[in-house]
Amino acid sequence: MTVMSNEEFAKRMMLLAKPASEFKPTAYYDSDGDCIEFLAKPDPFYEERIDDLVTVYYSQKTGEVIGSLIKGVSKLAKRLAERLPGFMITIEDRRIRLEHLFLAGMWLQTSEPQAIHVLAYKKLAEIAERTSVEVSAELCGAA
Amino acid sequence: MASDSETPGRVSLSAIDPQTGKDTEVLISHRRMHTVARRSLGHAKECGLLVPYTLQQPTAIFEGLRKDEDEDRRIPGWYCYCAKPACSFDENGEEQPPYPNEVFLVFVNRDKVAYNWRWARADKNDDRLPENYEERFERRAL
Repeated sequence: MTVMSNEEFAKRMMLLAKPASEFKPTAYYDSDGDCIEFLAKPDPFYEERIDDLVTVYYSQKTGEVIGSLIKGVSKLAKRLAERLPGFMITIEDRRIRLEHLFLAGMWLQTSEPQAIHVLAYKKLAEIAERTSVEVSAELCGAA
Repeated sequence: MASDSETPGRVSLSAIDPQTGKDTEVLISHRRMHTVARRSLGHAKECGLLVPYTLQQPTAIFEGLRKDEDEDRRIPGWYCYCAKPACSFDENGEEQPPYPNEVFLVFVNRDKVAYNWRWARADKNDDRLPENYEERFERRAL
C-alpha cells in the first residue's frame, strides 16, 4: 500500500486524467462497494436515491439522467437467481447488458413504485441500451 | 503512471476517524482512481481534491446506510463523510463555485475503503448536511 500526501494524490489523479472528449459510456462493478456504477456522459453529476437498489445520477449542467449506482449487487444476483431464474438466459459470454439489470430491478419491486421512479428506471434502461453498456456477470456474482 | 492501471493495490489518504475525531487513514483502490480519472478532468479533480478534503474536513460523518439492500452495510463500520467544499469542477476540470444547496459525500466501507463519492442535495434546514439524513443513516457519528 502507498501512503500519499494530498498533493501527491492530486498530482497522481491529474496524471491519470483524460479529457472529457475521450469519454466513453461505461459500467463497472466495484467489489469494495458491491455496486455497479454506470455513467453515460462525462458531466459532473448529483445523486438522487430512488429506492434500495438504485441511485440515479443527474447532470449538474442539464438535469438529465446520465447514470446510476446499483447497490447490493451480490444480493441482487441471488434474488434474481431465486425469483427470476429466467434472467440467467440474458447472460451472454459471461456479460450482462445493463438495461436487463434495470428491468429486473423493476420486476423485483415488492411495492408499487412511484411513477417518477418508474420513469427514472425506464430512462436508465433506455440509455444503457443506446450505449450498449455491459458488465461482467462473473465479477458481480451472477454467473 | 498508466502501468499500475491493473494493479489491485490501494493508496492511503489521511482522514478523520469517526470514532475519535483524530487522524486515521482511508484507502482508495487504484482501479477506482483509474476508472474515475478516465471520465474527465473534472471527475479526476473531484477525486484528487474533493475526496481528501471531505475525508479531512467533514461537516458530519454518518454511520450505517439504513436503506441499502445489503444488510451488511447497516452494521457498524460503514460511513458516509459529508462536506461543503469551496469549489466544484466542470467536465474540463475548470474550477467553479460549489453547487448551491448541495453537499459532497464520500462513502467508506468497513475495511476503510472509500468506494464512491458524489454531490447530493443538502438538507433544507441545514445545508451542511445531506437531504433526508435522519432517514438515510443509522446514526450521526461526528
